[in-house]
Amino acid sequence: MVEVALGTALAAIGAGVAIGFAGLGSGIGQGIAAAGSVGAVAEDEEMFARGIIFTALPETQAIYGFLIAILLMVFTVMAGKALSPALGLVAIGAGAAIGFAGLGSGMGQGIAASSSVGSVVEDPDMFARGIIFTALPETQAIYGFLIAILLMVFAGIMGG
Amino acid sequence: MVEDIATLVTSLGFPSIESFLGLIILVLLIIGAIVVIVTIRPVQNIFPYTYPNARVRGRAGKIFTEKQFSEIIEAGNIDEVKNYLRGFPDYAKYIDQYPLEKALDTQLAENYDLIARITPANSRDAFKFLLKKWDIRNIKSIVIAKKAGLSAEETLDLVVPFGDLTAKLDALVDANDINEVLSALEGTEYTSIIEDAIPVYEETGMLLPMEASLDKYLLENLLRTITTPEDDNTALLKSYVGSMVDAANLKIILRAKVDGLKFEDIDPYMISDGYQIREWKLKDLMEAEDVSGVVSGLEGTEYAQVLSEAMSQYTETGSIGAFETALDKNVSETAKRISLKNQFGIGPMIGFLSKKEKEIKNLKIIVRGKREEGFTPAMIKEMLI
Repeated sequence: MVEVALGTALAAIGAGVAIGFAGLGSGIGQGIAAAGSVGAVAEDEEMFARGIIFTALPETQAIYGFLIAILLMVFTVMAGKALSPALGLVAIGAGAAIGFAGLGSGMGQGIAASSSVGSVVEDPDMFARGIIFTALPETQAIYGFLIAILLMVFAGIMGG
Repeated sequence: MVEDIATLVTSLGFPSIESFLGLIILVLLIIGAIVVIVTIRPVQNIFPYTYPNARVRGRAGKIFTEKQFSEIIEAGNIDEVKNYLRGFPDYAKYIDQYPLEKALDTQLAENYDLIARITPANSRDAFKFLLKKWDIRNIKSIVIAKKAGLSAEETLDLVVPFGDLTAKLDALVDANDINEVLSALEGTEYTSIIEDAIPVYEETGMLLPMEASLDKYLLENLLRTITTPEDDNTALLKSYVGSMVDAANLKIILRAKVDGLKFEDIDPYMISDGYQIREWKLKDLMEAEDVSGVVSGLEGTEYAQVLSEAMSQYTETGSIGAFETALDKNVSETAKRISLKNQFGIGPMIGFLSKKEKEIKNLKIIVRGKREEGFTPAMIKEMLI
């Protein structure tokens, strides 16, 4: 059995939190958007492509969470690095930053996407404005992603 | 640094740094669980409505605009109206199948049926019950047709193939008189209503009491399906149905006052417990001397404003239509308010049904205008709701 340092184990938890919560938010958001899109396509087959676009938007939060989780694993567990417990806690912080930000952002984006799909099926001219409104909740995930990266860089987990 | 942390952890009473970290992780897990639960809860209310609302909004987008109505009004005759409607798949499928009015009603009924099928479970009972509106409409049409001596084929042109009675429609249409209609309705919830109304009909020849009893049955029981709202959505549905109930009660009272009827004449047709206008208030209103007494008796309710504006029109024209229009407008305003207030819940469905009802009513007004002589497009436009 491979010996894993406590700090490294904590970083693994950070990776889990990053993809777990971000994926949860993204999944719920995408589910809401998909349910709305299916309804729209049932009424108007031409809504398929636009429905796919709106449904795909809440995917990004899971991608951010996935990236942070991969980075955490690459620079700790997979690199065989023995992290100190303090750095392990920083890694949990990084994972929580993108995890929780992705959770809220994904769900919010899903609701906005579903509502936009409804608007577009009601009035096709609403497509561009719908995309803009749906993109807005993306910012919270970007903040979480940036903070996670900064935490990892300045604490020395990445490139240290 | 590491030693400082270890000293701090020990001074806090933890035997080792591992046990301290264990506690931190446990606290984080609890915080995470709370965040997840708090964040997901509102979504649980939104999620069941996303699919039906998207479908409903898709249909709402196809409701005719003012410009399209103007184009229909400009049609030279009824065939041009039909041709125009053939350009819209929702109408086209019924236009060649049924007479025009039946096609319009069937399209409306199809929308009620769709909503009853796709609405989330907590409001399904109410929307399913609302489908009985078509049973009641069909019974009324059949009874009127039998009274007028129409043939089975002519009667069939009046009924809409939606509602719970679709399996019995053939027998109902083939009935030769009201007693045979009653036999065909055997075993349904409408038997006792028709049975009670037949003696009055035979005595007076009036169908109005039977129609009023059927309307009362629909609205009274519809309100009962949502007596105790489970959540915000059913509470809003109740307020919408409630506004329909109040409007129905007020229409009966106002009509009765115009005809000089007394309390005991109209009491059987009142929906016992209104929404904003409760039973005691209804009694007061029924005992009012005349129309102005009814309007002043509504002081303190939202209907005072609604009806006082129509009062001046009534005084000028002597027509009860002004009150009926004001009450119908109030119901559609309620629907609009709900649809704007509750966009992620039941709002779009209620808003859509109200808009669709208005569209069909307007189309029927246009059809009538085109069918009868002497109505110019400007006159028809004036008559639209």
